[in-house]
Amino acid sequence: MTKLLDGRVILVTGAAAGVGRGVAVAMAEAGAIVGIGVRRPENAVDVADEVAAAGGTPVLLRCDVTDGAQSAAAIAELMATYGRLDALVHNAVSNRSSEPTDFENASLELWEEHASVTVRATWRLAVQAYPHLKASRGALLLMTSPAGIEGSAPLPFYSAVKASQRGFVRALAREWGPDGIRVNSVAPLAISPALENLQATDPERVKRIESLVPLGRLGDPRTDIGPPSVFLCSDEARYVTGQTLVVSGGRFTSL
Amino acid sequence: MVNENVTVVIGADRGIGRAIFDGLRNAVSDDGTSDVVVGLGDEIDFADPSAVAASFAEIATRGTINRVVFCFIDESAFTPAPIIEMDEAAWDAAGERSLRAALITFQEVHRNIADGGRVVLVLPTVGAVGVADLVPLCSAVEGVRVMAKAVARRWGARSITVNTIEVELSAFILGDEPVGDRVLPAVATLGASALPAGSATQDVVGLIDMLSTDAGGALTGALLVADRGTVMQP
Repeated sequence: MTKLLDGRVILVTGAAAGVGRGVAVAMAEAGAIVGIGVRRPENAVDVADEVAAAGGTPVLLRCDVTDGAQSAAAIAELMATYGRLDALVHNAVSNRSSEPTDFENASLELWEEHASVTVRATWRLAVQAYPHLKASRGALLLMTSPAGIEGSAPLPFYSAVKASQRGFVRALAREWGPDGIRVNSVAPLAISPALENLQATDPERVKRIESLVPLGRLGDPRTDIGPPSVFLCSDEARYVTGQTLVVSGGRFTSL
Repeated sequence: MVNENVTVVIGADRGIGRAIFDGLRNAVSDDGTSDVVVGLGDEIDFADPSAVAASFAEIATRGTINRVVFCFIDESAFTPAPIIEMDEAAWDAAGERSLRAALITFQEVHRNIADGGRVVLVLPTVGAVGVADLVPLCSAVEGVRVMAKAVARRWGARSITVNTIEVELSAFILGDEPVGDRVLPAVATLGASALPAGSATQDVVGLIDMLSTDAGGALTGALLVADRGTVMQP
């Protein structure tokens, strides 16, 4: 039986853990050759194993997205090996993305940590992928966040940079539509490494968060966030562009 | 002088910012109130924290800052260009610089505005609809708009409201100025405006006045689209 992404070559940034890892494995389940973009490939062998076990072809790539040479090399390696790039999923975020931010006193250095990964790297990755996505009539998918829609009080920097991705998606969808490239984003509410830590230290708080979700639980990166992401990278979404799909178990209904 | 109420307009040198500055200043003289309206424009590098801090410190000597209107988007954002033709410096100037300027300005506003103050952002609607060849502008506008929502949640305990008014891009760039020889970026919209054309400046100044009333104090984190019914966001 043909799978949705059979033979498609997809690069996922920030694929070492959390949503990125889940999305990478979901892409593998759908038959993709998955470029696993991580800062330290030597620490992500288990992700490659999981991708292979799920039926995909893993390609571990050193890809610190704040380093344009690294992201260019990662894309070049996929092109050299497979001759095509069908989708790029930019999921990487700053390591400090889940830290509450004292907006009124926070430094420009902290802002730069957020902006370099989520704003500048979004632009740079898109530019680097453009000729290949144009050739494949492929897709650019950004993993944004509900925080980028609601404006989170404890995460104001994260909210702003994630919101900027939504403006980016809408505008670039119009700019690249004539080239046949689709540009979309997913705003997931899912279990993350930060939430896993919170579960260990403050399980009651996690329960309170879960109680706000109509479906009663936080999303699983692989089984809940992965399939909608696969859809948006597949031909099934051939007429979908410029959109943000909120995948939050119903937590955010007014966005 | 220190008992006077002060309104600060950020980005008051051109376009809608200039028009709002003039409109608010004229309103002061018309109704006889004693508000002071101060405009900050091209003389300030809004991406320089020390410059913005010095400006606010000087303004604070004139009275109580109880209203701030933020209209600043870096001029380079309005020059259309495909993203594949930009280098990093161009991307930064057209997109990220406006985000940093908003962050720095909001931080300084928080230090200087009175409890119960009103912050109003005026931005173009492009972030909501997306415009080809204006990707950095659209990214910046959405980032600033949602940064303001987060700020609204944070500052509510001081009864400071933070709201956004969006206008069509041409109105944002021109304000009350005639288009003349200037070539404005093309914006694909959902169609013509539902209402007859009017003065975007008057529309916006009216909404700023409304947001400054006691009733307006119940609104925060809101987006008011003053485009006479063009976008009509779902």
